Amino acid sequence: MLKTDPYTINIGPQHPSAHGGLRAETIMDGEDVQDVIVHLGYVHRSVEKIAESRTYAQFVPYASRLDYLASHLPTLGYVQAVEKLLGITVPERAEYIRVIVAELSRIASHLIFAGSLAIDLGATTGMIYCYRDRERIMDMFEMSSGQRLIASYMRIGGVSHDFPDSFYPAVKSFLGDLPKMISEYHGLLSGNEILQARCKGVGVLSADDAIAYGITGPNLRASGVAYDIRREDPYGIYDRFEFNVPTGHCGDSWDRYTVRIEEIEQSGRIIEQALRDMPAGDYLGKVPRIIKPPAGREVYHRIESAKGELGYHIVSNGTDKPHRVHVRAPSFVNMMALPLVSRGGKLQDIITNIATLDPVLGESDR
Amino acid sequence: MIGKGLLKGLGITFKHGWEKNITIQYPEVMPNLQERYRGSLEFDPQNCIICGMCTKVCPNNVLSFESAPMPGSKKKQLVSYTIDLQYCMFCNLCVEACPTHTLYFTHNFELSTARRGEIKRVYSPPAEAQLLTGESQAELIPAEALEPQPDAEAEAKRLKQLQAIKGAIARGNSKVLDKFVDFEEDASLLMTILQADQKKQDKMAELMVDDKNKARKVAAAFVAKEKRDKTGPEEGKH
Amino acid sequence: METIFIDIAEFLTSWMVGLGLAPLWADLIITILQWAVIVLIITVNTIVLVWMERKVSGFIQERIGPNRLGPFGAFQTIADTLKLLTKEDIVPARADKLIFKTAPMFFIIVSVMLYAVLPLGNNMAVVNLNVGLFYFISLGSLSTICLLMAGWGSNNKWSLVGAMRSVAQMISYEIPLAFSLLGVVMIAGSLNLSDIVTAQNRLWFIILQPVAFIVYFIAATAELNRGPFDMPEAEQELTAGAYTEYTGMRWALFFLAEYTNLVAVSALAATLFFGGGQGPLLPSWLWIIIKTYLIMLVFMWMKWTFPRIRMDHLLSFSWKVLIPVSLANILVTGAGLELFRWMGW
Repeated sequence: MLKTDPYTINIGPQHPSAHGGLRAETIMDGEDVQDVIVHLGYVHRSVEKIAESRTYAQFVPYASRLDYLASHLPTLGYVQAVEKLLGITVPERAEYIRVIVAELSRIASHLIFAGSLAIDLGATTGMIYCYRDRERIMDMFEMSSGQRLIASYMRIGGVSHDFPDSFYPAVKSFLGDLPKMISEYHGLLSGNEILQARCKGVGVLSADDAIAYGITGPNLRASGVAYDIRREDPYGIYDRFEFNVPTGHCGDSWDRYTVRIEEIEQSGRIIEQALRDMPAGDYLGKVPRIIKPPAGREVYHRIESAKGELGYHIVSNGTDKPHRVHVRAPSFVNMMALPLVSRGGKLQDIITNIATLDPVLGESDR
Repeated sequence: MIGKGLLKGLGITFKHGWEKNITIQYPEVMPNLQERYRGSLEFDPQNCIICGMCTKVCPNNVLSFESAPMPGSKKKQLVSYTIDLQYCMFCNLCVEACPTHTLYFTHNFELSTARRGEIKRVYSPPAEAQLLTGESQAELIPAEALEPQPDAEAEAKRLKQLQAIKGAIARGNSKVLDKFVDFEEDASLLMTILQADQKKQDKMAELMVDDKNKARKVAAAFVAKEKRDKTGPEEGKH
Repeated sequence: METIFIDIAEFLTSWMVGLGLAPLWADLIITILQWAVIVLIITVNTIVLVWMERKVSGFIQERIGPNRLGPFGAFQTIADTLKLLTKEDIVPARADKLIFKTAPMFFIIVSVMLYAVLPLGNNMAVVNLNVGLFYFISLGSLSTICLLMAGWGSNNKWSLVGAMRSVAQMISYEIPLAFSLLGVVMIAGSLNLSDIVTAQNRLWFIILQPVAFIVYFIAATAELNRGPFDMPEAEQELTAGAYTEYTGMRWALFFLAEYTNLVAVSALAATLFFGGGQGPLLPSWLWIIIKTYLIMLVFMWMKWTFPRIRMDHLLSFSWKVLIPVSLANILVTGAGLELFRWMGW
C-alpha cells in the first residue's frame, strides 16, 4: 500500500526568496502545503531598546533603518510622533516636502515589490526594469538628502535640507514617465499569462480574515477593504490631497499586485498636487536643541507606510531620552497571515505569497 | 487569446535589447554623485573650537576628541580628534550640529581598508599648536630644536612630533600606538614594553615619526617576542 | 569548403591504411577522433553559449554583461571554468556517495551520446542510424534518471523535490515531444535524420508542420529544464533544486550537460524543421551552426522574459493542451498525406 508522509522543509532563513531573513517552516505533503510556521527575528537589532538610550533626535537614523526600502516613511512616522508628543507645529513647506518624499518612498517600495515578485516568480528581467526606475527615485533622494537608501532626512520640526533646484525637473520628468513605466510593467508582468496563472486565486485572504488578523495597508485593501490611514485618519497635510484608495476584489496575490501598481499611480497624483501647492518658507521649524518632554506623557501616532499601518508609541520620562518606544510594524503583522493564505496551496504558492505580502524584515524583526 | 501577453513580453524585452545600457562602468567611470552626497566624514583641525556639539549629537559614539588646557589661558587646545568610521551611520547629525563646518562630508565613498584599525581616523592639530600643548611636553623640548637651522621647519616639526609621542608614551596613552598594531590589547602590551625600556622607547618613537612601515614591523616583532616570553618563560630571557 | 571535414576524415583513413593499418583499425581510430572532436565542439560551444547567454540577458536587461576579460568579455567563461576546477569538492556527509558522484558523469555522458546521430552537415553524422530520431528521443529521456540520482544521492529535501519535479515533468513532456516529431516522420517517411534533411529539399517542414514545431519547441524547453520550465532547478523556490549540494566541477558538469542538451535539441530543431544544413552559398555545416544558434537565441530570449510556470499548471498544460494538440496534428498530417496521395502528388 502506497502512502505519503508529510515532511518539513525550511524556506529560509538562507533562501533566495526569504526577503532578508525570514524563515517559513513548511510542512508539506509532496508539493502540497499542509502548514506554514513563520519564524521571525533573524534580523533583530533591538531598535526599540536602542531608542531608550538615544535622545529623541538621535533616533531618527535608526528609524530609517526599520523599513529600509522606503526609509522616509518610518522616519516620518517617528518625527511626527515626537512632534505630537511635544506639540510642535511644522512649517508649511516642510510638510509639503515630507509628503513628496514620503510618496516617492512609497513608489520606490512598491517598485521593489513588483521587482521582487517578478524575480521570485523567476522573471529576472522584470526585476531589473523595476529597479532601474526605482534608481531615479534614489537619485532624487540623493539630491535632497545626500543619501540614497537610508536617508535620515526627517528632523523633528521639519526636514534636514530644502529641495535643491535640480530636484524639481527630476521629479517632474519621473512623474511624466510614470505612465510609460507602468504600461511596461503591465506588458512584461501583468499581461503575462504565466504570472497571472501563478497569482490569480493564490493566497486568498478574505476581508474578514484580514481584519481579524490585523492586516493593514495594501494587503488589506487588496481584500476589498478601502482603509487607508491617509484618508481615514489624516496625518500631516494629507487631508488636502485628492487621491483614490484602490481596492481589490478577492484578496488573492493578483489583487495585492494590482493594488500596489495602482497605488503607484495615486502616489504620483499626490506628488503632483504637492508640487503644485508647495509654498515658500522654512523647511525646519524652531525646535529646542535639547528635547525634554514632560514626564509621563505618551503618544501613539500612526501613518500609512508602504507596508501598512506603521505606529509609534512613545512614552517619555522627563529626560532627553524616551522611556519606551514601541514600533507597530506592519510587516510583522502582515507576515502572520502567511500560514493562513498558504495552507492548501503548492510550494511555489508560498513564494508568491511571501512576495505579495511584501514584508521587509528589517521592520518586522526590529 | 492566450499567449498574447507572452508575445508582448517578448516584444518588450526584444526592444530593450537594443536600447542604451544603463550600467555605469564604475572604476573607469565614476558615478555621478549629487552635491549633497555623503561620502567620507572628514575633519578640519584648523576650524575646531572644541565645543563638543558633534560628540553630543552623535548617536553612535563615532566621534571623540582629546583636549588640553592652553597654558596661561582658560581656552582649550585640541590634542587629537578621532573619527571611528566603522560605527558611523552617515546620518549627517554631526555636520548639522557643527557651528564652524569643521566636520564635513566629502564625495569619497571608497572607504574600505585592509585592516580594521585603519578605519579609525585620528586627526592632530597643526604642529605650531601642538607645541603649546601641555606643560610636560614643553619642558621636554630640547633647546637646539628651537634654534633656527637650515631646513629648520621640517626638523623642528619632526622633533616636536617625536616629543609628543614620547610624552604620550610616558603618560601611558596607548592611543598613539593604535595605528601601529592590529589589536588594542597589543597596543597596551607594547606600551608596557616601551615604558620598561628607555632605549626601545626612543628607537620606537623615532621610527614612528620617520618610517611608519618599519615602525609597524618593529612593533609587531616586539609584541610577538613579549607574547612568546609570556607563554614560555623557560625558553630564555634576553 | 562543403566537404572539408569529410575530406579530412577520408584522407586520414587512407593515410593510415597506406601505413599498413587494417581498414577496420583505421575506421576505429577515425570514430574515436570523431568523438574527440564532438567533445571538443561541446566544450567550446558551452563556453561560447555561457558567454552568449550572459550577454543576451545583459542586453535584454539594459546591462553590459561580462566585459572585463578579453574582447567583449569572451574569456570570462574560461576564467569561470578555471575557478570551478579549483573549487573544493564537497560531498555531503550523509549523501549516498556513489550515486552522488556518478550522477553528473552519467548526465554528461547521456548528453554527449545525443550527438552521435546529429548530422552536423551533409553526410556528417557520426553514426548514420536509420532509427536516429528514435535513438535521440530515447536517450533524451535518460537524463531524467541522472537528475533523480542527483536528487536522491544528495540527501537533501530541496534536491529531492527538484528531482521528483524533474521526473514528473520529463515524463509529461516526453510524450508531446515524441508526438510532435511524428508528423515530420510521417511526411519524410524515415526516422533517419539525414533522410529527413533530404526530404526538406523543396520545402522546410516548419511550413508544413508549424503546430508540430510549436509543440516541439515548448516540450523541448521543458525537456531542457530551461526557463520558464526550469522546475528541477527553480532557484527562487528550491534554492538550486537537484544541484543544491553540488560544488565545483561536479556542478559544472551538470551545467555543461544542460548546455550540451540545449545545443543538441536546437540542432535537432534545425534539422527537422529548418532544413538542416540546407542553405545557399555557405557550406552545410556552417548553415546548421547558424540555424542552431538562432534557435538557441530564442530559447535564451524566452528564459529571460518569462516567469516560471507552476508545477501543477506545467503538468496540466502538457496533458490537457500539448498532447491533444500533438495528437490532432498527427491526425491532420495523416489525413493530409492521404489527401495528397489521392490527388496524385
